[in-house]
Amino acid sequence: MEKQSYILIVDDDPDIREGILTILESQPYRLAAACDGKQCLEMLAKETPDLVTLDLLMPRMDGWGVIREMRSTPKYSQIPIMVLTTVIEDASRRRYELETGLAMDVQDYVQKPAKPADLLKRVERLLSVYV
Amino acid sequence: MFEAPSTAAAIVAGRLSLSEVFTGLSDEDLIAIAGFSREVSYPESEFLLREGQPAEALFVVERGKLALEKKVQPGRHTTPRSATIGYVGPRHVAGFSTLTPPYIYSTSAVCLEPTRVITVDGPGLRAYLQAHPAAGLIVMNSLAALVADRYRQSTNTLTYFLSIVSHELRSPLAAIENYLQTMHGGFAGELNSKQARMIQRCLLRVSDLRVLIGDVVDLARMRPEQIQADFEWFDPSDVGTESIEDVRLAAADKEVQIKVEPPVRFEPIVGARRRMRQVFTNLLNNAIKFSPIGGTVTFRARYEPDQVVFDVEDEGPGIPPDEIPHIFEDFYRASNVGETTGLGLGLSIAKKIVDSHDGQVIVTNLSDWQGRSGTRFTVCIPRNLKTPEMLRREWVTEAAN
Repeated sequence: MEKQSYILIVDDDPDIREGILTILESQPYRLAAACDGKQCLEMLAKETPDLVTLDLLMPRMDGWGVIREMRSTPKYSQIPIMVLTTVIEDASRRRYELETGLAMDVQDYVQKPAKPADLLKRVERLLSVYV
Repeated sequence: MFEAPSTAAAIVAGRLSLSEVFTGLSDEDLIAIAGFSREVSYPESEFLLREGQPAEALFVVERGKLALEKKVQPGRHTTPRSATIGYVGPRHVAGFSTLTPPYIYSTSAVCLEPTRVITVDGPGLRAYLQAHPAAGLIVMNSLAALVADRYRQSTNTLTYFLSIVSHELRSPLAAIENYLQTMHGGFAGELNSKQARMIQRCLLRVSDLRVLIGDVVDLARMRPEQIQADFEWFDPSDVGTESIEDVRLAAADKEVQIKVEPPVRFEPIVGARRRMRQVFTNLLNNAIKFSPIGGTVTFRARYEPDQVVFDVEDEGPGIPPDEIPHIFEDFYRASNVGETTGLGLGLSIAKKIVDSHDGQVIVTNLSDWQGRSGTRFTVCIPRNLKTPEMLRREWVTEAAN
């Protein structure tokens, strides 16, 4: 039997979290949510997800900080990340490069709000490519 | 007998020396300037100067307060409103456009309370400063510092405001739109047809709002250099497809068909990909907005040796010919927009982007012998644009030679 994919949803807005959960619940995924970067790392430590959907603008630790942490930790460096944010991609990448000196290593970049069908398609694609 | 300068002139000179523009001038200069100045009192609500009028005088406030106002008139057929852009209190100056070409007041100034000012004659001051370069230099230095400070203040406020607006408005809107799309997609249970219709209308309005906020923030930040820094090779057909997808919901809502007339073959061109998508999306949105229900919008592209030419055509009422020169102004909305929504920014943003690409936007009213109307927006983008990498290589080769 195929193991269910485990997806971690990271966003400080409870309405966004609920919206995304509702969309992804339509598929046989195991889902969990974190409300900021710090909680995200805590949950990563408990169980490694197959995919992380990541907001960028969050308190305590923002999305850029999470990406930096994950990519510099061998255990998490291979987990695909889908950024889901209102921030425009080129501005976002530029900021990450300025902060870290490295290119932003994420596997998808989606502008909020994502259309449900589009989100499902992208999640499916990332899960199948990054097994 | 030697006549000492009148006491009145001396007093005025003394007061002038305390103002932000005349500090540092010699006593002779101050007395001379006082010679063509006079003290005047104005009641509350009186206008000292009007925006757009020839700048005949400079005003140094002694007592009271002025508000600097600029006219805001979205479109030529809406009521003009005033926006207060600053205040002038004691020792500060209004009307320094008197000293800078084209010598036209850039704002209006109105008294917020009974105000006493020293009115300095404009032409007299200009002539004096020209004849006395040392004094001219001091005054111009003060003016430069003043203008730089006001500019810095307004950009600081703007930048701060934009960064707040950007997140605080977009964030809740994203949450709303996300929920609406989730419901609309049936992920939260089945909807009856009325619910589905209402949610679809909400989605449209929220999407408009999101675009509106994005546009306002964008417009304030958009500079040609920033757009040119993003130049890259891209395939216009990809961008065109994305734009059509952007407006799909709006088109469906009015049962508007989008007819695509592609060129024989698409070749990559240099430009700012995301920005060109904005141009097409804005033009298509405009065309759909003004289309009759069930009408057709045509999106055409053709390649010429020196440029790529894109057309967006609608079957709407056309644009009144005398308004055509104005439609690309910020916030302009033509007189026949009727009930359509919008802030009037789509075209102004599109034009700014096309200008950054050294291109042109041409507007033509369409009408034929059968009495049909419509508008065609033609965008021409030159094919000789260079990406930053290409420019860099050019400079390196030139420097080596």
